[in-house]
Amino acid sequence: MNKAATGFDYEAALGACARGERSALKLLYDQEARWLMGVALRIVRDRQLAEDVLQEAFLQIWRAAGTFDASRGSGRGWIFTVVRHRALKEVRKDGRASRVEVEDLENLADQQQEESGPTDIDATELERCLERLEPKRRECIINAFVEGYTHEQIAKKLDTPLGTVKSWVRRGLLSLKECLS
Amino acid sequence: MNLADREDRIVACGEYVLGTLPVTDRAAFLARLSTDRELQAEVVFWQDRLLGLARRVRPLAPSAALWQGIEARLGGETQQASAAEAPETGGLAPVRAAASRRPALPLWERLGFWQTFSGLGLAASLLLAFMLVARAPSPSPVNYVAVLQSSDQRAGWIVQASVGGPVKLVPLADLGTIPAGKSWQLWTKGKSASAPTSLGLVPAADALEVPKERLPYLGEEQLFEITLEPPDGSPTGRPTGPVLFLGKAQRI
Repeated sequence: MNKAATGFDYEAALGACARGERSALKLLYDQEARWLMGVALRIVRDRQLAEDVLQEAFLQIWRAAGTFDASRGSGRGWIFTVVRHRALKEVRKDGRASRVEVEDLENLADQQQEESGPTDIDATELERCLERLEPKRRECIINAFVEGYTHEQIAKKLDTPLGTVKSWVRRGLLSLKECLS
Repeated sequence: MNLADREDRIVACGEYVLGTLPVTDRAAFLARLSTDRELQAEVVFWQDRLLGLARRVRPLAPSAALWQGIEARLGGETQQASAAEAPETGGLAPVRAAASRRPALPLWERLGFWQTFSGLGLAASLLLAFMLVARAPSPSPVNYVAVLQSSDQRAGWIVQASVGGPVKLVPLADLGTIPAGKSWQLWTKGKSASAPTSLGLVPAADALEVPKERLPYLGEEQLFEITLEPPDGSPTGRPTGPVLFLGKAQRI
């Protein structure tokens, strides 16, 4: 899917990284850094911290490229997961995840529906399935992925009991699974 | 979270990828993920399908210094193929470094490989771990897994043990170095045992293997813990220092 859309072969680049070819990591970086930077920044909300996250993530990708198995998913999906989880780890250490800056939420609110990210990712099916979700459930899933929010943070943002949010995420994921499968 | 339940499995994998899996479920989920191929496939499903949400994020060009920083650190990095060198050893002899295992072992079982990841985050480590397991040509011989956590619920080590086999201890995070004048000691305590039994010293934050002869028994909910002790280990044969990491074995 991604290969066809961009002409960039993420799996081949990871394979070359595994063989120790630094030029392949640079190619990956040139291809993805601005998208990944955006994703990391949105979660950690600090430019320097986002760069730290990206640096660590690219070193992880370099070290671990040999373990990536192209038969089990896309290289791009894997790379984004490494970066997102690194960013989440960073922002949640010292229990910081329990805080939600209300002004941040307001400042970022208008970005919510905007599509300006990597448009070569084919999200047609995902968007179609998200559209079908009940709005609150959709909002939970988008907040978790895009903002990197925990259940607690989503509950605070939506001013909804935690148990309800957990249930919305669960129902939302199950509906998505059914729609996407 | 009940990982025997179909819906719970789907949700747990989705939440793991989203990053909303509760801390309290995380260790059990990751332990299962490291060996459960269907769960691995489910994570990959969400990883690829949710990727489209990245379109909602505005891009930002990183500073030019970022790549330079990455490149500079590549110089000090080694690829995993050469990482299986014997780690420094110390402490009690019975705990031997595991990197001397014969190279014919599959990659996922070569603990030298794990050392490469000792500085990685837990999520990344296990993500990598399960990808390795997924490539294994034969079923894993591991019967029990315990994730050892610190008091603040940080996952520090994973213990893998099988009946009649050695105990493998693998770091999951950057655990730093042992404080000067101290040692790390590994203990185990069966569900009905009255006191812990020492499995020896942990010489460094590296993968190691405890010979099966040292393991007195193995069962569900068996406790594994690492305590901080005097340099030669506990003088009493019982833990004397604070517990650094603790976890219970789960059958897999």
